[in-house]
Amino acid sequence: MATTDNSTRLPSESWELHRTITPKTIGILLVLSILLAFSAKNMELDKAADETWRAVTSVFGFGESKVLNGAGNFLTKAFPLQISTIQETNRIENFDRDNLPWFSYVEVREEKEYSVIEEKFTITQAEFLVKPVGYLVKVGVKMWETIEMAIWGTIFSVLLAIPLAICGARNYTPHNSIYEISRAICSFNRAMPELILALFFVLMYGFGPIAGIFALALHTSGFLGKFFADEIENADPGPQRALKATGANRLKALRYAVMPQVLPQYYAYIQYILERNIRTATVLGIVGAGGIGTELKGRWDLFDYDHVATILLAIFLTVVLLELVTQRLRKKAI
Amino acid sequence: MLKFDSVSHIFPDGTQAVKDVSLTISKGEFCVLLGPSGAGKSTLLNTVNGLVMPTGGVTELDSIAVTKHTLKEVRKRIGMIHQQLHLVPRLGVLHNVLSGLLPVTPTWKALIKLFPEGQQRKACRLLEEVELEEKQIYRRASELSGGQQQRVAIARAFINDPDVVLADEPVASLDPTVSRHVLTLLRNASRQRQTTVICSLHQVEFALEYADRIVALRQGSVVFDDMPTALTSERLQEIYGGDKGDLVGAPTEPTRITSDGIVEADDITKITRSAAE
Repeated sequence: MATTDNSTRLPSESWELHRTITPKTIGILLVLSILLAFSAKNMELDKAADETWRAVTSVFGFGESKVLNGAGNFLTKAFPLQISTIQETNRIENFDRDNLPWFSYVEVREEKEYSVIEEKFTITQAEFLVKPVGYLVKVGVKMWETIEMAIWGTIFSVLLAIPLAICGARNYTPHNSIYEISRAICSFNRAMPELILALFFVLMYGFGPIAGIFALALHTSGFLGKFFADEIENADPGPQRALKATGANRLKALRYAVMPQVLPQYYAYIQYILERNIRTATVLGIVGAGGIGTELKGRWDLFDYDHVATILLAIFLTVVLLELVTQRLRKKAI
Repeated sequence: MLKFDSVSHIFPDGTQAVKDVSLTISKGEFCVLLGPSGAGKSTLLNTVNGLVMPTGGVTELDSIAVTKHTLKEVRKRIGMIHQQLHLVPRLGVLHNVLSGLLPVTPTWKALIKLFPEGQQRKACRLLEEVELEEKQIYRRASELSGGQQQRVAIARAFINDPDVVLADEPVASLDPTVSRHVLTLLRNASRQRQTTVICSLHQVEFALEYADRIVALRQGSVVFDDMPTALTSERLQEIYGGDKGDLVGAPTEPTRITSDGIVEADDITKITRSAAE
């Protein structure tokens, strides 16, 4: 750069300073707030504010609140958590009194039943098989099923992602059109939400974990395909060129010069996807795609909020546990 | 026998890296290329295994011209040691050496890292020859020191029993003691096998010490081609153009763009400088 002419220099007192707040900033803020105001009206945020205010006042004993009633309804029914199961012994097929399942016992309970015809309560005595932690076990089994779903979803996702990644990496794609197609598939898979995919797969494969697994696999393969491909593209070209110079073909160069370089990053991605899949798998059951979500949705619809609370607790514990485990693993991988 | 027949190369940006070079290097010769940075040493080396396809003239290995069609065959007979090591950092030492055998290994075997024991033993022998130890063979290449890594690179270059080994400034990033060690190992390996070595160097004293023959380039042309004993200080002046003979790494190497679209430069300052301009 050539030196600037010194004769045009001005004393610092007369240097032009920029203002931080200009009419332009004020104008932009004004337009933004008008737009947000319109949107808020559209979203019925005024109603939300009203309801919330009422909830606050009703806490102090002024009036009724829909919001508080809803929450109270859930909370009063949710506690204590339901962890046992009760079943009338008459309804159990081949009930063997001498060979009860583990940790269960038979209890006689009185049952009040209101008869509309006679207009009075009839008290009947019935025998019940009580499993004290039966529901907990059931939730545990369902939760494990959910985790299994997520694991299989991740496995299929990786299997799908690897060819997508190789075809979608500019330096290893067999042809430019294949590159474009592969990248497009990845984008499409990422764009389709799991719940929508699960709906389709439920339609195709029926209710159950298969639909969930495929939904997870297809959706996350979009992520993994893109991440894997980007890693391949960004790998240090030096070792690859060195191997190609000895005459190794592209597949071998990919295996020996690229794979060792990108593998640690791949582990990290797969771990993240697995974590994500477990979280998502818990809700996939809501559309009938297996896992604990099915149980959750069923209990919710029956207003069995004590059962729902148990399920929510199980999900929460699983996610926390997962966080701990993956943190440990991540430290090890690095 | 390696023959350069009036080889010229002009890079797409118009830089003439090599200008009408004709050389014949006989089998088993340890030939050192000297010359200031940007003289075309690397380019000339790269024409041998087709990393650079010369725009004029032809390079022949045992009277097979290096062209796109013969490339596969020619590359199997050439080992290469690169300036910036170019080992795979996270791959084990043994497999880094074995990766020199990839072109002759069936693809499916290569994909699951299945090398016959004979080949693995051969790799071990070579590693022994370059004075590495048993406990190091399953360590990652990146865990070794620079000198050890360059020795692994020598082992890799020799594993497929090449006729020619190209060494592109193999000791550029090493200190003098380690450099001598590496060069000694390289020369011993080539003597034992009667392998032709073409080695580009910056350090004149190493060239005098190790070369059977010194070829010096200046601005792409051969300005000196003789025994080391004939390299007098006057001739050195000629080669390096008034600069000191031991001049190392003046950043004048032209930035090159390879067919893969990778920008290569021997000195990073060149890139940053040209970017700033």
